[in-house]
Amino acid sequence: MARSIALLVAAALFASSCGQDPGSAVTLDFFQFKPEAVKTFDRIIEEFEREHPGVRVVQRHVPNAETALRTRLVRQDVPDVLTLNGAGVFGELAAAGVFHDFSRDRVAQVVNPPVQKILNDLGTFGRGEVNGLPFASNANVVIYNKDLFARHRVEPPRSWAELIAAARTFRAAGVTPFYLTLKDAWTALPTFNALAANLAPADFFARRRAGLATFLSAYPQVTEKLKELYSHGQPDRLSRGYDEGNRAFAEGRAAMYLQGSWAIPAIKGLEPAFELGTFALPAVQDQRLVSGVDVAVTMAREPRHPKEAMAFVEYLMRPEVMKAYAEEQVAIPPLRQAGSPVLREVLPYFERGRLAGFPDHHIPLAVQLERLLQRFLIDGDSRAFLAELDSEWDKVMERRS
Amino acid sequence: MSRAFYWMVLPAFVLFFVFHTVPVLQGVYYSLTDSPGYGEHAFVGLRNYVNLFKDDRILDAYLFTFQFAVVATILTNVIALAIAVGLSARIRFRTALRGIFFIPNVLAILIVGYIFNYLFSNYVPVLLGELAWIGVVVVAVWQAVAFNIIIYLAGLQTIPEDLHEAARIDGAGSWRRFRSVVFPLIAPFFTVNMVLSLKNFLQVFDHIVALTNGGPGTATTSVSLLIYTGGFQGGEYAYQTANAIVYFVVIVLVSIFQLRILQRREQL
Repeated sequence: MARSIALLVAAALFASSCGQDPGSAVTLDFFQFKPEAVKTFDRIIEEFEREHPGVRVVQRHVPNAETALRTRLVRQDVPDVLTLNGAGVFGELAAAGVFHDFSRDRVAQVVNPPVQKILNDLGTFGRGEVNGLPFASNANVVIYNKDLFARHRVEPPRSWAELIAAARTFRAAGVTPFYLTLKDAWTALPTFNALAANLAPADFFARRRAGLATFLSAYPQVTEKLKELYSHGQPDRLSRGYDEGNRAFAEGRAAMYLQGSWAIPAIKGLEPAFELGTFALPAVQDQRLVSGVDVAVTMAREPRHPKEAMAFVEYLMRPEVMKAYAEEQVAIPPLRQAGSPVLREVLPYFERGRLAGFPDHHIPLAVQLERLLQRFLIDGDSRAFLAELDSEWDKVMERRS
Repeated sequence: MSRAFYWMVLPAFVLFFVFHTVPVLQGVYYSLTDSPGYGEHAFVGLRNYVNLFKDDRILDAYLFTFQFAVVATILTNVIALAIAVGLSARIRFRTALRGIFFIPNVLAILIVGYIFNYLFSNYVPVLLGELAWIGVVVVAVWQAVAFNIIIYLAGLQTIPEDLHEAARIDGAGSWRRFRSVVFPLIAPFFTVNMVLSLKNFLQVFDHIVALTNGGPGTATTSVSLLIYTGGFQGGEYAYQTANAIVYFVVIVLVSIFQLRILQRREQL
């Protein structure tokens, strides 16, 4: 028994010493947050290492990546290269000066400027700095069933009136216009975001923080339109969740699905018998598409191996690498020119730069917006919803100060 | 010789201290800071505690939790006592039935909760909608009854057969025998069950996570769930830790109060 354990240990030591290249090889510590993309990144790393024989990249992926990263930062242990979701936590860390400033680097030039702005708006260390590079974008889109649209002679709507008319047409024909999944409160957020980004004043959150505006005064249009959309759903909306919604939509049980590009791989995985299309929720004329940075690439402000880390970032940001990733993960490569079959219909928004970030990223998580929203969509009391949103906001801000 | 007793207590004491007392003390420490759960933090004195009393969301959670706990405790004990009396009578398949009634206790609440979630959403969706709190009560009572039956069964077996006989000879009917003989004799078991049920229901968490996740809106958000969602997802770790400390004290006080009342009743 003891001998076999000793053998095992020896074998393990041997294996690990073989794994490390001898001599001058540099090992990069690559922190990767997205569990769905581990395999894709493994392949990218493999190709990178083939091109750079002296560099080894170790991909580290853990559950609850953002929390894990923070515990490493407490120990002053910043990974060389990182991917992070372009949400509140990224902005917070960027503002704390953890990440490199790419503003003078050539690699920052490939990114579509309005997408870069969405990421920069989350927070930067110094004025005009660029603390992360968008690697893949998502889009807040309405997914539709091309088959049902063709059968009922409905064109993808371009205005609010057309959207409501389309919903009425489907309803009259006995087809559910929107499949709603209110059991999972968060599934109301994409629609809320699309409406809020277009119907509320652009400087609303700055004014709200300064105490110069309230949800009650600036958001009635948002809640009114949200309520109207939710009146065109199926009756059992309260007992259906996100997974059930994906399944029902893939089975062709509704004409439209109020979600985002992230739901497309899941729906496609269920092998729908029809073609999927996407359009931006038409809230106003010449509106903007809500898009977030799904994956941002960045590196430590003071990396252990600056040259190699930059080489890896430059490799990741090559257009062909970004395009291949976007193809596999159904994302939008945030390049000046992009292409992706399912999302073809919303690409003009990227090309013309008519983009907006997620408004709910500005609302503190402790407010629990999605719960308030869920209740509003059940009881329909817009005033009570907005008043509570204001009072929760004020309470959270007071606790933070 | 007596030293041996200390040694026997020691392992349990050490485990309790390390895994229970130390975390509580840490919690008290964090509740006095502005920590989001990681990274740097600063002392803020009693600010978190002051803010607790200004937060109507916490008041709502307390109201829901107490209403739920009182309803569930009463239902659990009435149903468990009735079933236990039935299972201690001379009936066929008595042992097998006792086993079957105990099964819910062995099942994990989360799994049971997801099964009920599926049943409700497909057959009685209203129990996840407007009447979601009743859905939670149904699952909680269904699960908790099993354990309470066992305690009541143990209690019923302590009643000597001759007391039943004596009562029967005196002409007492079955309801009279239950009211005047059985129930007074199992009063200590009733006390234990009431105190434990109320305490457990006040800490309700798994059922709600599996069924409604606190919704619709915040309608079924219990205090424990609020501590979890606000502290870990909302990034207000220190604030919700203060909430947890206050709630701990509240539960201790409620339990002591309940024990006092029920034990006094036992002596009547």
